[in-house]
Amino acid sequence: MKPLNTCAGALALATFPFTAIQANELNPDVSVILDGYYKQNHTALSHRDEGFGLGHTELSLSSPIDDLFEGRLTAVLEDHDGETELELEEAFLQTTGMPYNLSVRGGRFLSQVGYLNSRHLHEDDFVERPAAYRALLGSHYFDDGLRLNLLVPTPFFWQIGAEAFDGGRLSEGEEDIGVYTVNTRFGGDIGGSQSWQAGFSYLNNRQIHGDHGDDDHEHDDHDHGGHAHGAEYTGENLYITDLVWKWAPGGNNRQQQLTLSGEYLYVDDLNEHAASDDVHEGWYASAVYQFAPQWSAGARYGQVELKEAHGDHFHDQELKETDVMLAWSHSHFSTVRLQYTHQDAHGFEEADNTVMLQYVMSFGAHGAHGF
Amino acid sequence: MAFKRLVTGVVLGLAMVPAQAALNVFACEPEWADLVLALVPDADVHTATSAGQDPHYIEARPSLISAMRRADLAVCTGASLEAGWLPALISRASNSVIRPGKPGLFFAAEQVTLHQPQDHVDRSMGDVHPEGDPHIHLDPDRVPVIVDALADRIIELAPDQENAVRLRQRQWQVRWNLEKAQWRDAAEKLEGTQVAVQHATFGYLLRWLGVETAIDLEPKPGLPPSASHLSKVLSDPALERAELVLIASYQDRRPAQWLSKKTGLPVEVVPGTVTGEAGSDSLSALVSQLIDRLLQYREEHAPETAHHD
Repeated sequence: MKPLNTCAGALALATFPFTAIQANELNPDVSVILDGYYKQNHTALSHRDEGFGLGHTELSLSSPIDDLFEGRLTAVLEDHDGETELELEEAFLQTTGMPYNLSVRGGRFLSQVGYLNSRHLHEDDFVERPAAYRALLGSHYFDDGLRLNLLVPTPFFWQIGAEAFDGGRLSEGEEDIGVYTVNTRFGGDIGGSQSWQAGFSYLNNRQIHGDHGDDDHEHDDHDHGGHAHGAEYTGENLYITDLVWKWAPGGNNRQQQLTLSGEYLYVDDLNEHAASDDVHEGWYASAVYQFAPQWSAGARYGQVELKEAHGDHFHDQELKETDVMLAWSHSHFSTVRLQYTHQDAHGFEEADNTVMLQYVMSFGAHGAHGF
Repeated sequence: MAFKRLVTGVVLGLAMVPAQAALNVFACEPEWADLVLALVPDADVHTATSAGQDPHYIEARPSLISAMRRADLAVCTGASLEAGWLPALISRASNSVIRPGKPGLFFAAEQVTLHQPQDHVDRSMGDVHPEGDPHIHLDPDRVPVIVDALADRIIELAPDQENAVRLRQRQWQVRWNLEKAQWRDAAEKLEGTQVAVQHATFGYLLRWLGVETAIDLEPKPGLPPSASHLSKVLSDPALERAELVLIASYQDRRPAQWLSKKTGLPVEVVPGTVTGEAGSDSLSALVSQLIDRLLQYREEHAPETAHHD
């Protein structure tokens, strides 16, 4: 495929000194994310308490390890009921020198299912993830495991990936490998101003029909168990389809950009008592318009229909959520966001409407502009 | 005779390269695509950005990952200009030959000394690059150094094209030097001219010409012009000396137009880099165009400015 590259010998490697893209010499890239907020009322399925609070305070270190591996460590400090928890959200290595555009990631990392899940929470355009994500993936599902990704040699972007995880961070169980996922993404540009990406993901949760299935459901009943980071609603099969479309005049997203995105999530085989129509189902659609270099406004609607397990039967729950937000980013590294969330719920006691004011600030290494 | 041998070398060199082995190049900005094509006209070049885009703010979108996946060589500016998106692209593309430190990744900014490298940088200073100002692509002295280094790199990756690349490298240098002689003449006429700019996009060329930057519409590097900063600019005595506002086509025109309305200063919008259009379809054409516009303005308005003084 690449006959021209075979000549790049050891001499070349010796003559061109290692040059990291960011002038970091031998120190790792360090970045800190500060996330704080004020929330007027408590809302259903929320991971943020009312009043003043800290969200996802993040310390991240990343660096090439040698010429074959790079690594990242992300520690997250979260406050729950007055207690500060330190959690490792990412601690992984990734290969950099594999042939055929293969890459392997091992350790703890964010699963790549769906569009939002592999992104860090601070990259989001709204204060919290859509209700479907909060219920079915615990906002963001990360776990200990292994990933293999392949870029297919097609003229357009096509990625195929598979992951195997311990599964203990999604639901409790005894399986050694509790979760498998497969994922594929396609994408490209339409003319000079538009770009798009579509993805399909499947997550198989093998713990659901494991020996400790019943414990699982008891655990699920404790809706607000403080620091449970797993998903509150699980099932054996999770399917996600996602679509993102962006438009910037002439591709110059510095000045203006419109982002439309949406995902649909479907979970079946909830447990051994589930009938074929006992499923969790949710979706959201979001539109965010950055109308000036420092300003963006957005609206999002999402809903999720859930089955809450009670022994051998289920209770229906439904949450509809509408968010509108206005964000101001003075520089690339600071954002202040005002958001109003309207909840319309069935089967949730704490659903309410709320105003939230949030800041997300970063310092240290320059974050990546993901798609 | 030497020329004839070179031509024979070129023909032989080209004949040895199978058609499907065209060098696949990922150029972060159009200026580097222009230089690659000057050295290897049959290269398959994908340019990640255009003159209409701010190269600091690109996203690592699917089409770019795909282009990076295919490339044998990536040619970028470096010096943190692409810090927001190039590392993500390199990581997502998993292309084993395009990695920091490998010959498949060429940074133009590493081939020359940069203006104003900083020992101490923090973000309160704006988007200042510690390595120095990365907008080197219009500098008449630095670009030839980059071309030589780029030719070396291409030959390292494709030794069978050495003769052809060396020939074109020499041709390019000859043409550039001829143009440079004219630019030098122009510089004599332009020396001392003062302009207002928005960001350091044209800084290297303006300094080479002896044109002074009296005003920057950006309050800090990388921050868009704010109302409070513009009103400060309006009362800045340096504004009196500025003869025009020079901005790049990817930049928001409103601040410059606002200033123009308040002061009567003319606004020149020039492509920040190579475009597909005549007059700016190569780096040398773009430099000439920029100089011509400045000269034209100088000739039309110089007496008036003298009157003001």
